[in-house]
Amino acid sequence: MTQADLDRDDVQLASAGDHDAFERLYRRHVARVTSLARWLLDAGEADDAVQEVFIRVWQKLHTFAGQSAFGTWLHRVAVNLLLRRRQSLGSSRRRQVNDEVQMLAAAGASERPDLRVAIERAVDLLPAGAREVFVLHDMEGYKHDEIAEMLAVDPGTSRSQLHRARLLLRQQLAT
Amino acid sequence: MSDRFTAQLSAYIDGELDDLSRARLESHLAECLDCTRTVAELRAIVAAAPDYRGREPSRDLWNDIERRLDEPEVVPINPSRPAVQPSSRPVAQPSSRPPMQPSRHRFGWRELIAASIVMAAVGGGAVWVALDGTVREVPTAAAPAPITAEQQNVEFADREYDAAIQDLELLLARGQNRLDSATIRTIEQSLSKIDEAITEARAAVQRDPANAYLSRQIAANMRRKLNLLRVATQAIAART
Repeated sequence: MTQADLDRDDVQLASAGDHDAFERLYRRHVARVTSLARWLLDAGEADDAVQEVFIRVWQKLHTFAGQSAFGTWLHRVAVNLLLRRRQSLGSSRRRQVNDEVQMLAAAGASERPDLRVAIERAVDLLPAGAREVFVLHDMEGYKHDEIAEMLAVDPGTSRSQLHRARLLLRQQLAT
Repeated sequence: MSDRFTAQLSAYIDGELDDLSRARLESHLAECLDCTRTVAELRAIVAAAPDYRGREPSRDLWNDIERRLDEPEVVPINPSRPAVQPSSRPVAQPSSRPPMQPSRHRFGWRELIAASIVMAAVGGGAVWVALDGTVREVPTAAAPAPITAEQQNVEFADREYDAAIQDLELLLARGQNRLDSATIRTIEQSLSKIDEAITEARAAVQRDPANAYLSRQIAANMRRKLNLLRVATQAIAART
């Protein structure tokens, strides 16, 4: 049984109010939502935002038509909610590098490839617009047209922000 | 390195260049070591990026989520009541939170329960969230007018809420000597964070009054504050 099959069955049960089924959906997808929240918001806001995402998904389950995979639908709900949260709470301000993240990165440096740690730090330092596009395109695999719709910008802006992000990352990694 | 070609490198990596542009760039790459190195470095960044997906939360969030699954989805306004201007309400400043002071007023559990009732208006009716966490609907005499999108402001029962919070804080102040200092510190820090979140969301609501999401954030944080105080006072009661 594939994850998509498991998801489909659990969505059906959860839609009828089954908390256990929804917990299984949560456990299968929480890591990806968490990393998205972590990259799009301050690290300190991520856990709270993840809770909001899953509560929203629970409330909207009845609107999930099953035309796409549940994971795809969930991810889109998460992206929309996180971007709105970011905008609403003024998170568009330049995010400070979080001490906790730095400590984790430093602690894990011996176990993880240097490039990974370095990129994590560098992504934290990206300007907000460039980071959003880099996260959505290179990390999450969205296309420029989709990103443009999510961020209410022109696809050309998405492309230029992505290029800017990559060049800035390269620059920071070189220092 | 050529700026003209540098601007095309991301599109080249993503396969978005047309045939002619790609052929020109590849000719340039055959001669330009800088651009070739840049392409290699950008490819490494792009290739590594998907590895950053998948990160467990800092703690298991499921219990918190499950507790909130069956909460009312939205706390909209009651259009029949006058709107409350967020700015008219004194906002607690985390940095200026006064130290907990004992009150002369004596509270019993009956008073505590009465004080900790919070009314969150839901449409034309109301929901009373009592100290024991039960939710009771309160019928209204007349059906409310439909709520428009512009009216997706939340009106909280400020007086009831503020009174409940104030009384619980007083009760906490009276009984805090029954809790250890680390617990008190944790409670105070948590209250400060919640106040900060409420303040920030209220400020955002002033800029965007029709934003129902922000209203939910305020409502959620008010509930958190009430719950935190409730748990704290219950802990004190258990040590009495």
